[in-house]
Amino acid sequence: MMNIDGPGISLRLEAVTKIYSVSGEELPALRGVSLSIDGGESVAIVGSSGSGKSTLLHLMGLLDRPTSGTLTFGDRRVDNLSSTDRAVLRNRSIGFIFQNFQLIPRTSALENVEMPLLYRGIPARERRERARDLLASVGMGDRERHTSSQLSGGQQQRVAIARAIAGSPGLLLADEPTGNLDSRSASTILDLLLSLRDRFKTTLVLVTHDMEVAKHLSRTVRVKDGRLEGHA
Amino acid sequence: MTLIALGIRSLLKNPYRSLLTSLGILIGVLSVVVLTGIASGAKALVLQSIQNLGPNLLVVIPGSVTDSGAQVGGGTDTTLTADDAQAIRTQCPDIWNASGALRTAAQVQSPHANWSTVILGAEPSYLPVRDWRLARGGFFGDQEERGMARVAVLGRIVASRLFGLSNPIGKFVQINHSPFRVIGILSSKGQSPMGMNQDDMVVVPLTTLQSQIMGVTYVGVILAAATSPERIGAARREIEGILRLRHHIPSGGRPDFEIQAMSDIAKTAGRLSLILTVLLALIASISLVVGGVGILNIMLVSVRERTREIGIRMAIGARPRDILVQFLSEAAALSFFGAVAGGAGGVLFLLGIHLAVGWPTPVPWEGLMLTVAGATLLGILFGLYPAWRASRLDPMEALRYE
Repeated sequence: MMNIDGPGISLRLEAVTKIYSVSGEELPALRGVSLSIDGGESVAIVGSSGSGKSTLLHLMGLLDRPTSGTLTFGDRRVDNLSSTDRAVLRNRSIGFIFQNFQLIPRTSALENVEMPLLYRGIPARERRERARDLLASVGMGDRERHTSSQLSGGQQQRVAIARAIAGSPGLLLADEPTGNLDSRSASTILDLLLSLRDRFKTTLVLVTHDMEVAKHLSRTVRVKDGRLEGHA
Repeated sequence: MTLIALGIRSLLKNPYRSLLTSLGILIGVLSVVVLTGIASGAKALVLQSIQNLGPNLLVVIPGSVTDSGAQVGGGTDTTLTADDAQAIRTQCPDIWNASGALRTAAQVQSPHANWSTVILGAEPSYLPVRDWRLARGGFFGDQEERGMARVAVLGRIVASRLFGLSNPIGKFVQINHSPFRVIGILSSKGQSPMGMNQDDMVVVPLTTLQSQIMGVTYVGVILAAATSPERIGAARREIEGILRLRHHIPSGGRPDFEIQAMSDIAKTAGRLSLILTVLLALIASISLVVGGVGILNIMLVSVRERTREIGIRMAIGARPRDILVQFLSEAAALSFFGAVAGGAGGVLFLLGIHLAVGWPTPVPWEGLMLTVAGATLLGILFGLYPAWRASRLDPMEALRYE
C-alpha cells in the first residue's frame, strides 16, 4: 500500500491487452502495452481517435479491466481486484477528469465536489468545509449552489477538477480535459491542472490529441493501433 | 445514513414522479385499512346487537312446516302455545324466566295521528326476559293478561308519532278500531339483530292480541332466559325434554320446534365476519401488490435514466453496495411515504364513514401498523431488483451511456 495513498503513485503496465467483443466480433483496443510511470511524473498520451489512448487511461483509472496483462500501483497489483476494492481505490487514490465533465445533473457544484468524500464516509460538516475550500481554490467559490446546466463548459470543468482532487488522490487522470472547451477556457483549465499537480505532487496522466497541450507535460507517449509508438 | 438521505434527495428532484409512484402504495394501504375497518365495524355491530338480546337468551320457534317433504322455513308453524311457555317458566330448573310472544302489523290511531306499526303480544314476564326498561308509566301484569285487558305500552317512536311531545299515559289509542289505554312508554333500544327498529312497536298483553286482534291461540316465539350463560346447554336440554313431552314427540322423532341460543348465533356471526375481514383484506392487498409493481417499474426506469449518473458515482468511488443502498432507500422512502399517507387517509376515510352513516368503524390500529410496515417492506422488496441491477452496472459502460 505504501505508494498508493501518498502523493505521486507510480504505476506499471505489463503486456496489457484489451479486447472488446461487440456482437460476437472481437475488436482489439490495446494489443500489448507495457509502460511505467514514476510517482509525480506528468505524462501526455497522444494518438489519433480510435488509437486506444482512452482505453489505456480507463484501465489505469480502474474503470475497466484488461483482457490480459498486469497493472500495478506502486507495488500492489490492481488489475485483478474485486469491484468493491477497485471502487475504494478509485475513491482514495484516483481523481478522474473527463472531456464532457461528467457532473451529476440537477446537483449543485458543492454537492458534486462533496461526493467522493461522502463515499469515503467523511462527516457532513467536514465534507462541506473541504468542498467549499476546493471550489474556492479552483475559482468557483461564488458558484456553490449552481447546477451543471447553469455553468459554462469551463466552469463545469473547474468543478470537475475540484471534485477530482477532493480526496487528495495520488493519481490524476484526465481524458481530453480541454477537448470541449474554447481555446481561452482550455488554457485556463490546463494551467489549473498543472498548478494543482505541482502543488500536490500527484502523478498526472493526460490524454489529448493536441500536441500543444502535450508539450506542457514532462513526457509524451504516443499510441497507435493499440500499441505504444517509438517507446523503448 | 447519508446514502439514505441521498436517496430521498433524489426523489425530491422528481417530485411528480415520486408522488405518482407513491400513489399506488397509498391507494393499496388505504383500501386495506378502510375495508378491514368497515369489516370489523360490521362485526362489532352484529355482535353488539346480539349482545343486546342477552347472552343468556334461548329462542324457541315452531318447527318448520314440511310440505311434501320440502322444508318451507322455520317459524311458520303454529305448534307453540302460551301453556308451553308457562311449562318452561315453571318446570325448568335452569330457566330463570320465559315468555311467549306473538306479533302482527296493524294501524294504530290517536285522536290526532295514525301510524302503521308492529303489535307485539307479550306476557308480563317478557319485560324482564328481554331486560327492557320503561321510560314512563308501567307494564301490564298477570291480571291484565288474564283479563285480556285493552292496555298498551308504546315504543318511543310510536309514542312520538301519535302524541308528539304530550304525555300519552292514560290516553287512548285505536288498534283495529278498538280503544286501548296507554299505560307505559318503553325506553329507547334501537335496532334489533334482525334489522327491525325495536322502538317502533306497541306491546299489548298476549291474550288480548291472540283473542281480540288476531283470533289465534298459538305464540310465534318463546323467549327463555337461562339462569346464567354457563347453564345455557342444560336449559336447552330441559326445554327440549319438556316440549317433547307436551307435544308427544318420542325421543328420536323429529321435533316440531327449534331452540336457538343467542351465544351460538353470536359465535357463527363472529366466524362469518372474520372470514369477511380476511377476504376483504386479501382483495385490498392485491391493490397493494399492484402498487409494489408500480415501484418496480418506476425504479427500473429511474435506474436506466440515471445510468450515467451511476457511472459517475462509481468513477468517483461509489462501491456497488453504496449504489444498492441509495436506490433501495429511494424505493423504501417511496413506499414508506405512500404507506403512511395511505394509512392516514384510511383513518380519515373511516372517520368520514362513521360521521356520515353512523356505523361504528373502529380504526384497526394494530392492522394499520402492520399494513404500513408490510407495504414498506413490499416496496423495498420490489425495489431490490432495480437497485441490484444498478449496483452491478459496469462503470465504463455506464459512463458512456447516453
